[in-house]
Amino acid sequence: MLELKGIYKWVNTGNNRTFILKDINLTVKEGEFISIMGPSGSGKSTLLNVIGMLDEFNEGEYNFLHESVHKMKEKQRSALYKQYIGFVFQAYHLIDELTVYENIETPLIYQDIKSSERKAMVADMLDRFNIVGKKDLFPTQLSGGQQQLVGIARALIAKPKLLLADEPTGNLNSKQGEEIMELFKELNNDGVAIIQVTHSEKNAAYGSRIINLLDGRIEG
Amino acid sequence: MIKHYFKTAWRNLFRQKFTSIINIAGLSIGMAAAVLIFLWVKNEFGFDNYHKDADDIYRVKNYLSISKEDTWVWENSPFLLGENAKQQIPEVLDVCRIRPLGYGTQYFNIKGQFYGEDNCAYIDSSWLHVFNYKFLAGSAQAFNDHPFSMLLTETKAKKYFGNENAVGRMIRIDTVDYQVQGVLADNPANSSFQFDVLVPLAARTENPKNKKNDESWGNFNYITFLKLTPSGDPKKVAGKLKEIIAKQREQNNLDVSLQALKSLRFETDLQNSVMQHSDIKVVYIFAVLGILLLLIACINYVNLTTARATLRAREVSIRKIIGAEKKQLFLQFIAESVMISLLSLIATMLIVQVSLPLFNRFTEKTFALSFGSTDLWIIAGSTLFVTVLLTSIYPALLLSSFKPLAIFRGIHVLKLKDGTLRKGLVVLQFTISIILIVGTIVIYSQLQFVNKENSAYNRSQLLSVSVPYKVWGKYKEEQRVGIMGAFKEELLAQSNIADVSLMNSESIVNMEGSSSGNSTDWDGRAAGFTPAIAFFRVDTSFKNMVNLKMKEGRWYQTGNGADIHNSVLNETAVREFNIHKPVIGQRFVSQGDTGVVIGVVEDFYYKSLHEKIGPVVIRTADENNTTFLIKTAPGKIKEAEKAAATVWKKFYPTEPFSANFLDEEFEKLYRADKKTSTLIWSFSIIAIFISCLGLFGLAAFTAEKRNKEIGIRKILGASVTSIISLLSREFVYMVLLSMVIAFPIAWLAMNKWLENFAYRISIAWWIFLTAAMIALAIAMITVSFQAIKAAMANPVRSLKTE
Repeated sequence: MLELKGIYKWVNTGNNRTFILKDINLTVKEGEFISIMGPSGSGKSTLLNVIGMLDEFNEGEYNFLHESVHKMKEKQRSALYKQYIGFVFQAYHLIDELTVYENIETPLIYQDIKSSERKAMVADMLDRFNIVGKKDLFPTQLSGGQQQLVGIARALIAKPKLLLADEPTGNLNSKQGEEIMELFKELNNDGVAIIQVTHSEKNAAYGSRIINLLDGRIEG
Repeated sequence: MIKHYFKTAWRNLFRQKFTSIINIAGLSIGMAAAVLIFLWVKNEFGFDNYHKDADDIYRVKNYLSISKEDTWVWENSPFLLGENAKQQIPEVLDVCRIRPLGYGTQYFNIKGQFYGEDNCAYIDSSWLHVFNYKFLAGSAQAFNDHPFSMLLTETKAKKYFGNENAVGRMIRIDTVDYQVQGVLADNPANSSFQFDVLVPLAARTENPKNKKNDESWGNFNYITFLKLTPSGDPKKVAGKLKEIIAKQREQNNLDVSLQALKSLRFETDLQNSVMQHSDIKVVYIFAVLGILLLLIACINYVNLTTARATLRAREVSIRKIIGAEKKQLFLQFIAESVMISLLSLIATMLIVQVSLPLFNRFTEKTFALSFGSTDLWIIAGSTLFVTVLLTSIYPALLLSSFKPLAIFRGIHVLKLKDGTLRKGLVVLQFTISIILIVGTIVIYSQLQFVNKENSAYNRSQLLSVSVPYKVWGKYKEEQRVGIMGAFKEELLAQSNIADVSLMNSESIVNMEGSSSGNSTDWDGRAAGFTPAIAFFRVDTSFKNMVNLKMKEGRWYQTGNGADIHNSVLNETAVREFNIHKPVIGQRFVSQGDTGVVIGVVEDFYYKSLHEKIGPVVIRTADENNTTFLIKTAPGKIKEAEKAAATVWKKFYPTEPFSANFLDEEFEKLYRADKKTSTLIWSFSIIAIFISCLGLFGLAAFTAEKRNKEIGIRKILGASVTSIISLLSREFVYMVLLSMVIAFPIAWLAMNKWLENFAYRISIAWWIFLTAAMIALAIAMITVSFQAIKAAMANPVRSLKTE
């Protein structure tokens, strides 16, 4: 599904060049579930953002669904990620002014999907995540676990092929975290590829493959 | 999609209540000021354009050069010019004339009760079809058919006859009975013709004496309008008019031009006029001020919105990540400012509605705000449009431009450029405010100066009573002196009247007449030097009543028979006439009467300070003096007026009595300046208030943003004062910078304004200092309110939330 070849990313501070990513080579197949682990500052999140096309890299090749991302203009890149990639964040990043229902609906609005169709899709999603009763609440009225459910629902509403999750359970207690991980497993079984960044060995074990990062380099 | 935009906008509005309230308050005040100003501006520019043929109507304007030094510009023409123009000039389709019914107030006699009316005029029969009038009752036909007819405006008809039918009712003026033949809709606010009562000219020319007098080519008494053919060239027609008049007059000192009806409002060179005129420059200045006030209000929105942009960065990032295009975000932010502007518009309409009575009193217009009026909606709509344009584009561009990763990088997404722009806008706001403050102080000081200069005598203890020509004209000259003398004696006998002087001029505050010095002569006068002179004819008590100061020589003495040939001059007369030294005793011929100069008085004001004091010749004893200047016992002005009325009734039982209070005359003389003063004052209050609202919001935001920094500083031992100064310093610098920009502009502008006065203050340094102190103090109070709040807060709390 995607392939990173010799990816480098660095910043220049004065005369020094600090590498954030060093020679990353990674291939992800459709339907894979990958966990990225590593200490703070090892470049996990940056790698995830590069895969998600939110961040740029300085050197290397990136092919996504047989298209060369590194040759694309920003506009094409964002069109690509909007179509195929969903994002889940540690801090949920819901829009506080919108209700649960509206948060999930928003991506569809931006894709100009008809109102009746939107209704059906959001209703499906609410059903599936068991949050129908919460649909008119605002994010601040929900627990962390519930907020993350909404975050995932929003990421999935546009039917992405790849879900990128940056420490999705980082702000949750262990029980809530476990539920989210179970959910990811189910999603993965339905065919969605998942790449998650995590600190937890236990959560990492849900994945089919673990990648260890240290100082911007893939270990072992 | 649109629904989604407005829903989000609406929720954001509520989430940021504080900012929203500041935004709406500032915008609605600015917009209300702009709407009111532009209602007025539109009215000024639309003067007299509602007449169907407005484009083809002109008024004859005469320039009479009376000496090398002076040209008199008149709106009046000889009566016969009208007929002659119509007969001899093919381009002239129609002619109509108007003249006031008499000098000053006319008194209606309705069943023995007197009612004063100020705006009455004679019109000839074509007036009503050259100009557009709307008849509510009666007809032009009936009016023109009977010479002693009268038309009333709706308001006046209501005043006299209530809801009853006014047509057919009788009104007596002097000894003539007029029958109401029609009721007209009230004159529009944008009409130069604010006459409430119209009477056919035929009523005047019925009297052969009047007719003979009017038909003399030397009498310029009729305001004459011409309707030209659409292709008629007003310049050519004016040339032909000049020829017609020149043929009839011996002197060839007259020039003629045609004044277009549509720009009649902005005619300012007339010597005097029965219409109200305004200065087009003033209209432009107010239009600019209206735009500036709106701009100041819009700046608040832009500043507060962009300042808070950092708080919106997260939302923008999320939206971009979940699929929003830049265009979609741009429209979302536009929707927000549209929503704020719409809410402000509602508040604006309320403010406008509430302040309208005040505004009408101030403009002396009757603007009505029916919500069906297209004018109102055009103005409100364009104000809204400009507001949306100014408030939306920049913030929307800025906000929608964030890169999605801003979310991970905290709040350092705003570049320095934006902060600088915001400071620049605050500086602009304060520059405008400070200019207005300086303006307010300068105008106030000048008006104080006017008061001080005019304090030679106590105006509040003086009133004047004039006997109209039609009353004393009946008597022979010898009789007049006797009757006036008796009248004066009777007045003096009243306990509340301290002194009385009989004089020729109706006003000593604003003496309007000045005569050419044709029959004035003195030794050493250059041939052909005939300056305009103000002649005062008074009696001996005049000097003490108005506190004239003798510079040389003596004042008139009671009982000195020779004095009636002599003259007293003012300093300017001595200087400009170049009277030989010693001045006292020089031969002086005044209006054909030879005597000597017996005294020189110090210059005194007899006109507004806008005009230079000219040469004044004071003479005594004139049988044509008909105005009594009355000095009252201290604080007894009302009682004195009553006493004068009683005396009047004794002498002229059938004539209406009226008195002029010098205080009121004085007030009238400077009314335009007072208005400017009030306006600039209100504008500066509005500007300062809106600017401070913005500053308040910005300061609150800065304090909020630096919450953590303040917490750390306090834990490290910073004092409350040092934190206040930390937070306020930046704003003080901005205000200081505004001063540097504002002062030269204010200085230039106010000097320009002061040039309207012949006698004026010079702009002193303390005026700038005061303005500086005011601006700084207001800004400091605004900012430090937030700074103190932040500085006093418990640091632990602000750090805990991180």
